[in-house]
Amino acid sequence: MLYLELFLQGLLQGSIYALVAVGLTLVYGLLRILHVAHAGLYTLGGYFGVLVYNSSGSLMLSGIVATFGVGILGVIIYRLCYEAILDQPPFVPLIASIGLFIAMEELYRILFGSYGVSYTNPPLQQMLPLGGLYLREGEWVTILVSIILIGGLAWLSSRTRLGLAWRATVTDPQMAESFGIDPIRVRYFNFFIGSALAGTAGMIVGILNNLVEPTMGSVPSYKALAIIVLGGLGSVRGTLVAALALGVVESFGTIYLGNVLNRDAIAFVFLILVLMVRPQGMFRGV
Amino acid sequence: MKLKIIISSIPALFMFFGIAWADTVKVGFNVPLTGFAAADGESALNGAKLAVNQANANGGINGKQIELVIYDDQASPKEAVPIANRLIEKDGVKVAVSGSYSGSTRAAAGVFQAAGIPYISAYAIHPGITRAGKYIFRTSFMGEVQGAAGALLIGQTMQIKRVVVITLKNDFGKSLAAGFKAEAANFGIEIINEYEYSIPDRQFGPIVAKVRADKPDAIYASGYFFTAGPLVNQLRSGGVTVPVIGQEGYDSEQFIKIAGAASEGVIITTSLDRDSNSPETRSFITEYEKLTGNKVDMVAASGHTALNVVIAALRIAGTSNPKAIRNAIAQTQLNAATGHISFNTLGEVRKNVQVQIVRNGEWHYHSEIRDQILLAPPES
Repeated sequence: MLYLELFLQGLLQGSIYALVAVGLTLVYGLLRILHVAHAGLYTLGGYFGVLVYNSSGSLMLSGIVATFGVGILGVIIYRLCYEAILDQPPFVPLIASIGLFIAMEELYRILFGSYGVSYTNPPLQQMLPLGGLYLREGEWVTILVSIILIGGLAWLSSRTRLGLAWRATVTDPQMAESFGIDPIRVRYFNFFIGSALAGTAGMIVGILNNLVEPTMGSVPSYKALAIIVLGGLGSVRGTLVAALALGVVESFGTIYLGNVLNRDAIAFVFLILVLMVRPQGMFRGV
Repeated sequence: MKLKIIISSIPALFMFFGIAWADTVKVGFNVPLTGFAAADGESALNGAKLAVNQANANGGINGKQIELVIYDDQASPKEAVPIANRLIEKDGVKVAVSGSYSGSTRAAAGVFQAAGIPYISAYAIHPGITRAGKYIFRTSFMGEVQGAAGALLIGQTMQIKRVVVITLKNDFGKSLAAGFKAEAANFGIEIINEYEYSIPDRQFGPIVAKVRADKPDAIYASGYFFTAGPLVNQLRSGGVTVPVIGQEGYDSEQFIKIAGAASEGVIITTSLDRDSNSPETRSFITEYEKLTGNKVDMVAASGHTALNVVIAALRIAGTSNPKAIRNAIAQTQLNAATGHISFNTLGEVRKNVQVQIVRNGEWHYHSEIRDQILLAPPES
């Protein structure tokens, strides 16, 4: 039973990683940018969630603001920061992205205070044991939301014209454009979806921890990079599998290796081991 | 005539400001104001500022105003070393205080010791800090001392014997755990398991699941309010109801905000007794809330205490001779917000450990540990 619980805790952590990393992999797949500031948007989702909930008391409203607000901000970041430097070598947008991320963290600290913000009346904290498994309401909701959002993304990209245009642009932007697809709109859409998922993840984590801090994105900023490398750069399916696998490895590692290695070290040892066997990552990317 | 007065008063005016500028007493202060430790940095700085404001309102140091020279060290050793050099060489401070964590304080301590400038660690707990030399002091407990107090609290005061230890894997958590484990057996405590986590962790699901299976009678968990808040919250909502014993890292209003109802009944060892009747503590609590609008925490009280030790030493020794200031600090006998302060030969503070408990959403007095043999810090 303990193993099953640890496994479930791992999937839970993994599904949060997945929500964050998918956006990163989408951006990389389309534009070859390592979008470190993505983690700053994740933090912003946490802030939107807690601030809207504390003032309105509506979980639905704060979820909508966190998801759509962050999605729109992701598009704005693309428009203002990346679009002008797309033709530069890849390290230029990477450095811009790192700078942006640091600036975002400090901006949150100045705007919302260094002590962090907590829910005055934290939602979804009750224990809800189902079939002998002890998870909080918030944790069940996390698993549910992840399945819905990522399932929706899969449906969108494989079953709709928009998704077709999207995938066509990833595969061959010039060919797609000659078939009448507007690549600029595809990029906006790409950033919107990726950022919205990160915003949702940020809000969820804010509820689970009952704490949103300026530096909340620091771990996801590099761990999500590890995950997309692990999954095979640019492969959405690979990213999902890698995120869940990493969550489970960390969950067991925390208990059985915790006195030797910390959580992050376990994650990176796992990354190195996988890359030694499969240098291209778990799945072939773009 | 009028013009003449104005013109003739200009040099005097310059002299006045010139003297005023040269006549402040500078006290160096390195503190994390950005980055992951910025919350503690803000509290430490506010505590220090309050001490300076109070001293300046009472005539400063022999008529000179005190000026706090503040640098942001981001709790990082590589920032702290250049800051220490700058404070000594450019700002010319004759005494300095660390409002920062152990890593940066330890790095800066070596620089201050080499320059022969007295330096006080307000709340950084690594044992290596005061061992940098004779010019380095600490006004808070060493981790080991507080860990030993935790063992006494659990094994003797609370009479609990089966304990799980959850340790924050940095110098803070490690030295607390070392002190706790060294004394545990003496108080009949059996440590049935120990888990470690690192400072960015906020999700403790796997540890909670394992602790539930371990069925301990109490949990001794180190951490700061931003890790301990989520940890206690997740332990309680994960169905673990046994007492949680923490230490001064929890000691903040923020811990209660984060953990919410789960914080009720949590017991900690710390330096600040909020229910104390001592006039120093009472005035600190009221004045701090007036200055900042926030409730007091351990870090603010420690910043306040460290500055008051410096101010008292400057009043005795004068302001220019670092060696005299160092000797005055070593002789300190001061009632401060965190209790009576005096130092041993290593520069470690001797004081009682306060035990606080969360009742009705506020920190309150639980007990006080006065065992001076157990609490004696090492002399070398």
